[in-house]
Amino acid sequence: MNGTPRALNRVLLFIIGAVFLAIGVLLVLLASVPSVASWWHGWSAGVWGSAEGAFEQTRLPGRQESWLWIVAALVVIAIIVAMIAWLSQQGKGKANFLVSGEDDGDVEGLVTIGGGVAEQALRAALADRPDLAGASVATYEFKGQPGLRVRIQPRQGVAPHLLATEVSQLLEALDLVIGKKTPVLLHIVSGARAKFTRAERVR
Amino acid sequence: MTQDQATEPLKVVQESGASPVADEDPAMRHILRREMHSSRAAAAGIAAALVMIVCAYVLLEAGVRAIGQPPWLIDFGTAAERIIALPDGISPLLLGAGGAVVAMVGVFFLLQALLPGRRARHLLRDRRAAVVVDDEVLASALARRARTAANVTREQVMVVVSRQLVVVNVRPTSGSAVSEETVLAAVRAELEEMSPVPMPDVRVNLATSGVIGA
Repeated sequence: MNGTPRALNRVLLFIIGAVFLAIGVLLVLLASVPSVASWWHGWSAGVWGSAEGAFEQTRLPGRQESWLWIVAALVVIAIIVAMIAWLSQQGKGKANFLVSGEDDGDVEGLVTIGGGVAEQALRAALADRPDLAGASVATYEFKGQPGLRVRIQPRQGVAPHLLATEVSQLLEALDLVIGKKTPVLLHIVSGARAKFTRAERVR
Repeated sequence: MTQDQATEPLKVVQESGASPVADEDPAMRHILRREMHSSRAAAAGIAAALVMIVCAYVLLEAGVRAIGQPPWLIDFGTAAERIIALPDGISPLLLGAGGAVVAMVGVFFLLQALLPGRRARHLLRDRRAAVVVDDEVLASALARRARTAANVTREQVMVVVSRQLVVVNVRPTSGSAVSEETVLAAVRAELEEMSPVPMPDVRVNLATSGVIGA
């Protein structure tokens, strides 16, 4: 439930993939089909010629170099910055507060409840269970609303629906404590730790 | 936070109907849909890194040229001449192989962009939370049930859970019969109890050869 920009990921992957595919196919065709090679000679020479003409016309006054190089460098820098911005969007959305707002009571002021309250309470409640190999709780903000992501790793053979019901009871107790119903995503995962430890027999 | 505290609101919620919370709340439904599909973050990272490496090299050569230094690897002009002359100056085998590798990378990114990227997960109905279960967890729970129904050891049962189908493979102990119906009924009952979304079909395969001494 993080804020990874999925549509953007797919669009950019499509563009980058299409470019790579086109270059690769062109190289393969150049290596294998002679007629493509002759077309390529004419076409690419024409493109390079016009580019050189553009460079000739855009010389910096008093120097050999063209200012088009500076423009090209700026474009490349912009692309690099955009890529870094794109990467930084992956998996964002960690939140600090579970509740943050004004209290209806007589006293003026803001009430904030940190995500750590729910995280530690749930983690402590789940820590000693023999049927779990691991549990983690994190607070995320999704579309401006805080929510909890609970990840539990049951041992082999534990029925997931019973586990979900029991965690739900914990969550309802937590709702009472916090006084607000937070959206919760419960993810029951399997992992190496669950696979290689003993199966839960007594349950 | 004990379970006693939870009993009171629990009753209230049960009265209002035991349908899954996930389907009522549009935000939660949206989150669940996202959880069932891959975010493509890994492929995005690889693609961004590749583009950044290419851009960094171009920037380096451009910078070197701008301050009038000799090129690091190759001058832009020379590079352009070589690229224009392309089928010459390099062995066609190398060129073809390089092109194939680049095309494969492109196909990988294109498929990552276009395929649905469904994850091996199912949803469970629950009163309070939106529940997503990895298929392996379902499989190990079903295997446990099938094992007790068939009265065999852990190693003799293998369960494969896919989106629409659960395949239970049982290798019976040599000399003791295993009823296919019993295993099927047990697994079906367990699956009904879990009621994953989407609900898969069950198929039981009994191996013709038994295991000796299990």
